Amino acid sequence: MTASTAPTAPVRTVAPPSRVRRVAALAAGENRLFLRNRTALVNSVVVPLLLVAAVPALGLSSDVPLGPQLILTGVGVTLVFLTYYNLVTTYVARREELVLQRMRTGELTGPEVLLGTAAPTLLVTLGQIVLVAAGVVAIGEWSAPVDPVLPLIAVLGGAALMTVLAAVSTAFTRTAESAQITTLPLVLPTTALSGLITPLSAFPDALAAVARFLPVTPVVELLQLGLGGVTWDGRLVDGGAAWAAALLPLAVLAGWLALGTLAAVRWFRWAPRR
Amino acid sequence: MQPTAPPAPTRVQTEAAPAIEVRDLRRSYGDFEAVRGISFEVQPGEVFALLGVNGAGKTSALEVLEGLAPAGGGSVRVLGADPVRDRARVRPRLGVLLQFSGLPGDLTVAETLRTWAGTLTDPRPVDEALAQVQLTGRADVRVRSLSGGERRRLDLALALLGRPDVVVLDEPTTGLDPESRRQVWRLVHDLVAGGAAVVLTTHHLEEAEELADRVAVLRDGQIVLAGTQEEIAETQPATIRFTLDQDAPEPPRPAGVQVVAERPRMEWHTRALQPVLAELLAWAAEHRVVLRALDARAASLEQAFLAVAAGAETP
Repeated sequence: MTASTAPTAPVRTVAPPSRVRRVAALAAGENRLFLRNRTALVNSVVVPLLLVAAVPALGLSSDVPLGPQLILTGVGVTLVFLTYYNLVTTYVARREELVLQRMRTGELTGPEVLLGTAAPTLLVTLGQIVLVAAGVVAIGEWSAPVDPVLPLIAVLGGAALMTVLAAVSTAFTRTAESAQITTLPLVLPTTALSGLITPLSAFPDALAAVARFLPVTPVVELLQLGLGGVTWDGRLVDGGAAWAAALLPLAVLAGWLALGTLAAVRWFRWAPRR
Repeated sequence: MQPTAPPAPTRVQTEAAPAIEVRDLRRSYGDFEAVRGISFEVQPGEVFALLGVNGAGKTSALEVLEGLAPAGGGSVRVLGADPVRDRARVRPRLGVLLQFSGLPGDLTVAETLRTWAGTLTDPRPVDEALAQVQLTGRADVRVRSLSGGERRRLDLALALLGRPDVVVLDEPTTGLDPESRRQVWRLVHDLVAGGAAVVLTTHHLEEAEELADRVAVLRDGQIVLAGTQEEIAETQPATIRFTLDQDAPEPPRPAGVQVVAERPRMEWHTRALQPVLAELLAWAAEHRVVLRALDARAASLEQAFLAVAAGAETP
């Protein structure tokens, strides 16, 4: 029998680590894992750059000058093919290996676990965009953005949306391998109809009107407006008018973020199905 | 003992509130009710074992304690707080070892502990944590290269890294060799000596006998037996075995004895071990009979568990 006088342990007065410190601690471990995974490293760094190079080489028409177009393509391709796809496979692999469930038993909250796990992918996303921008400067195609805030919102909002949509996609992705199939709805049709490869102005009006409400389109629209002052239908606008034209894509992006967050909260699973 | 009745508090009550308080806990998966109204308390400095066959509802109940799933009904309090709603209060003082869990294979043992420590309020030093589970010599080995037992010990080190006051251990020694198992037992003894409350599940009944102050047996999501090991063992008859030669006289049949096997190797079951044994020994002395291989013992926790866990009624 245990001694009956065992006291209740005194409440400790050590302050808990901040959310940022907790996420940074997990992110440090994840970054180390990422650097040790050569396949992921090559897929994340080389493949998106090749895709960016391939799009202009296809000679597709564009409403935007080459420099901004290369950056726009770089951001779009990186967000979809790197951020979204990588995160779906990472989250699913971690879930199937029971790592996510283990993480949830500590002081990290659910969103902190997801953010810390996403850290390497998000850092590489940022690095790729900076690399493409540097390349554009190097080939002499750089031009000052019409409004620098809109591309910033597009990158940050787009990265957040891809992270949330990746979390949602894990609900119908059983294994990391099956992510090749389950990510197709976002990777192919919504990217093709986003204006990233073919401008929306080239689509029939009805199709373009619907396409503006797809998840990747507002990111592309905001980039076009901010980098080149080009609206979705190909008109050139200045800084003030760019913001007026940005209201709908901003609302659509915010709507997808809210919807995606609700869906992730509702359907994200931390452990494999029993 | 009444099914679903909370275990009788057998320790002297103190002013301290229970570390864990479970009241009429229920949990369902669709139409299937995995936990059907269980209640128990665990005091600081006490080990409480939840036993049951696979599917009895142990892990489903523990997941609510761990704050990984909400209760479908009833209430759970860990250190006075709801582990789901008051997560930020509970988690810094709760250590959890899941029945199954994974760790990234490409981090070393020390890196894994350092990463985890960075997320905790008051982690113990990594070197101390390594020593606690005898993994100091494996600090620089990647997790994927560890044996199953070493991984389990690393998992345990992670559970204890935050100096928890309440520890939930779901089958902590599954897959461990006998020596590692004893190391874990020593760890649990140390935790309890330090005032921690421990809830554990196990399929090893000798583990429950070694560690648990109180035990509850779950069957079909309900507690069908609960109490101290002695109280639980007393629900089953004691056993007396002896061998009688063929030419020995007929032994006595004391009241309340159930004869399970006849000579030469006789086996009796009785709820009055001492008087029955005394009567048998007196008869043997009087008739100068040698009771060869005489063995008399109270029922074990294992016997009680086997009698009730699989569905038999408590006698």
